[in-house]
This record gives sequence, structure tokens and C-alpha cells, in this order.
Amino acid sequence: MFLEVQHIVKSFGDEKVVKDLNFSLSAKHTLSILGKSGCGKTTMLKTIGGLVPPDSGKILLNGEDITETKPEKRSIVYLYQEDLLFPHLNAFENIAFGLRLKKIPEGLIKEKVEHMLHSLELEGQADKMPTQLSGGQRQRVSFGRAISTNPSLLLLDEPFGSLDTGTRKRMQELFKKLTEEFDITSLFVTHDLKEAVLMGNQIGFMQDGVLKVYEDKKDFIQDPQTGVQSEIEFWGGLL
Amino acid sequence: MRLNWKPFVLSLVVLLILFPFVYLVFLSLASEWRFPDVWPSYIGFKNWVTVFNSEAGLLKSFFSSLVISLSVAVFSTTSGFLISKAVFYHPKKRVLTLLAYFPYILAPVVFAACLSFFFLKMGLFGNMTGVVVAQFIIAFPYALLFFSSFWNEKVKSYEDLVATLGGNKWQTYTKVLLPLAKGLILICFFQTFLISWFEYGLTSIIGIGKVQTLTIKVFLFIKEANYFYGALSCCLLIFPPVVLLYFNKRYVFKKFV
Repeated sequence: MFLEVQHIVKSFGDEKVVKDLNFSLSAKHTLSILGKSGCGKTTMLKTIGGLVPPDSGKILLNGEDITETKPEKRSIVYLYQEDLLFPHLNAFENIAFGLRLKKIPEGLIKEKVEHMLHSLELEGQADKMPTQLSGGQRQRVSFGRAISTNPSLLLLDEPFGSLDTGTRKRMQELFKKLTEEFDITSLFVTHDLKEAVLMGNQIGFMQDGVLKVYEDKKDFIQDPQTGVQSEIEFWGGLL
Repeated sequence: MRLNWKPFVLSLVVLLILFPFVYLVFLSLASEWRFPDVWPSYIGFKNWVTVFNSEAGLLKSFFSSLVISLSVAVFSTTSGFLISKAVFYHPKKRVLTLLAYFPYILAPVVFAACLSFFFLKMGLFGNMTGVVVAQFIIAFPYALLFFSSFWNEKVKSYEDLVATLGGNKWQTYTKVLLPLAKGLILICFFQTFLISWFEYGLTSIIGIGKVQTLTIKVFLFIKEANYFYGALSCCLLIFPPVVLLYFNKRYVFKKFV
């Protein structure tokens, strides 16, 4: 397996936020994780990204133990709900940011960023500052910035949470397209049931710090804990 | 036709604001102005020539003040920025922030008197290094409190993001944190420079008359009732802050509007 998370535990004070986290993920797959606010999703992602050290457990990426590796050496990019574009850089420079950190030659940066702008349907927006972009465009630039560095794993923490319904739908489609184009392996955290089903090759459900990953989507739908059954009953009752 | 008073009132206000400064320059050019003369018997650059001939040591004081204030501004702004970050991430940040107010509880003269024993022991009494250290003790907490508003969860998220994108600590500072805080850093530098430039109480006690900054010199001339030299040193005193204010207005405030 490409990503293996084994017995990860994380507490803050007396509160155990992540309890015995165990799952694995194949390369070029997306695991969407559904869970309510405060269930430990963000802590789980930050632990995998190296931003929060686990109390115990092990994380293996492509067979290598990265539990103690610093975040800048992991090749795992964490994307927040907020786009977090650097306000002093334009769209082009925001996308090029990670490439410049790696000191990639200027010509290659230009080529990669222009290709990314095309893939993100952001042609003509390169010189715009973050304040001149719409919410959806900003989130796309944020994606571009993360993907352009060619990370081994992408961690998405409710990335479309702040977008309106229409933009959200377009972004979901764009994300699916990008994952295929750039062979992205990712963990996609959301509290939206439909989004979780749409985005992931695999689905997990997190509750009170415990993650349950389902064999297939049918298992997920049939589990009364996930809330899918009650959704079906609700919509069925309206007919 | 209704008379529009606005331009007149505005002109009067501008005139009232400018008058003390114009009068100060005028006084610095005058000498031997005794009652009941309505005009000084001499108007010219005699006093200014004296400054450049260093007879009164004003030029030396000007450069001493410049060195002290620039040192205090550079050290306190740099350390204030870096240490305020450490304070923000510290579990006892409230207590540490409260401690930063301590130097302002006492009047500068009383504070200097409290510190004088330690300065004497460390050989910092009556020299420029001592004055820089003493003024730093006042300016640093100001910088620390000033920058405490910069650090927040969003800045923390930026730092984490740079780390996951492959950036080290140095790159986080140079490519993100410093550009984000550029405006605040310039304002803090300006403010701490001013705190040091106009500082009198601490400087007079720690400097014990051996370190004569321009502010100390102004008070000496006023005590001697030499208004013309006093006005001249005031002009010199105001000149660097005006230059800094100009640069701040042109390059910093413009970006915030």
C-alpha cells in the first residue's frame, strides 16, 4: 500500500482526539473521510502531514517510515478550508511558490505554472492579485500551488467548505479531473455526505476520534451510523 | 451670495499648526533679540555655522542621537518581531504579555534609578552602550506588544502551509512572514526610533552627562536660557523624524489606504 497509518493516537491534555487510527491507501486513489466538526479529522490530517506529532503509532509512505520526518521533508501537502493565498503574490507567483522553494530553474517554473493555469482554467488570471480573484478562482490557485510541487500525498481539509453550491460543484468536477491528470493520491475530509461519496475511491467515517474505512460504497451506504439511510428515508418520504 | 468660510478656516488651522515650526526655524537664525526690540538685531546662519564648526557640540550630539536611536530601533524591532512569535506560541503567553507592560509602570527616571546599580556593576554607566541598553529596555516591550497583534491562527496556518510545501524556517521568514509583516515592521521601526530619539529621563541618568544626545542638549540650552541654540537643536531634533515620517507616509501608509 502507498500510505499506511498504523495505531496512531493523539491526545491534547486529557482529551484523546485520535484513537488508534488504522488505515491504508493505494497510490492514485482518494480516500474521502466523512465526519462531524470536532470528531478529530483535522488532527488526523495534521498528524499525517507532520504538523502535529502523534503520541504513538507509525506512518509509512511508499514503504518508508515518516513518523519522525519533518513536514518539509515529507512531500505531503496540507490544504486548508481557507485558500490561504499569499496576499503579496499574484496568482502566477502563488502557484510557483512551492517550485521556487525547491529552486527549480526559472524556465521550467514558467512552463509548469502556465500548464497548471491552463489545467485550472485560469488563463488570463496569472497577473491578478488574490483580492482580484473570486472564491472559486482563489481555491483553484490554492490547488495549483499544492499540485505543482508534485506531492506524494495531498491532504484536503474541507477544501470546498467556504464555497457556494454552484462553485462547489464545479470545483468537485475540476478536482476529479486534476486527480486523474496529475495522478494524485489524497485524503479528502468533508462533512458533506454527497461530497464524500462523489470524491472518494474509498470512503471512511470518523466519529469521536475513531476512523472506520469501508470496503466499498455499498457498505458505507448501508451503515446506519453514516447517516446515508436516514437521508434516503428523508428524501423517499417526500415522494 | 453665501460666503464659503471653509478655505479660510482651513488656512487658519494650517497656519496655526505650521507657526511653531516656522518660528522655531526663525529663532534658530536669530541672535541678540532683546526687549523691546521687535526684530532681532541679527538674522543669519551664524548659529548654524557654529553647529558645523562643532563649537557647541551639537553636530556630535546629533550623530550620537542618530547612532543610539538607529541601534535601539533596529535591535528592538528585530527582537520584538522574533520574540513576539515565541510569546504567541508559548502556553503562558498571557503572563508573558503582562510582564511586557512592567517597564511602563514606573516613570522612566524612577526606572533608570532602579537599574543604575546593575548598569554600574556592568560598566554600562556613562557610555553610549549603556544608553542603548537602557533605551532598549523601554523600546523592546513596546515592539513586543506591537507585534503581538500580528501573530494569529491564520499566520500559523501560513507557516504550516509553507512547511508542507517544502519550505524551511528561513524560507518561511524571508518569503512569507517578513513580506506579510513589512508594513508593521516599518511602523515599529519608526515608533521605536522616536521613543529613543526623544528619550530624556533614562538617558540623563544612565548617560550621567557624558552621553549628550540631542534631547539632552536641548534641555541644557533651555536651562541656560539660550533660546537660539535651543531652537536650533530643536530643528535638528525634528529633522530625522520628519524624514522618517515622509518615508513612512510615502512607502508604508499609502499601501494601507
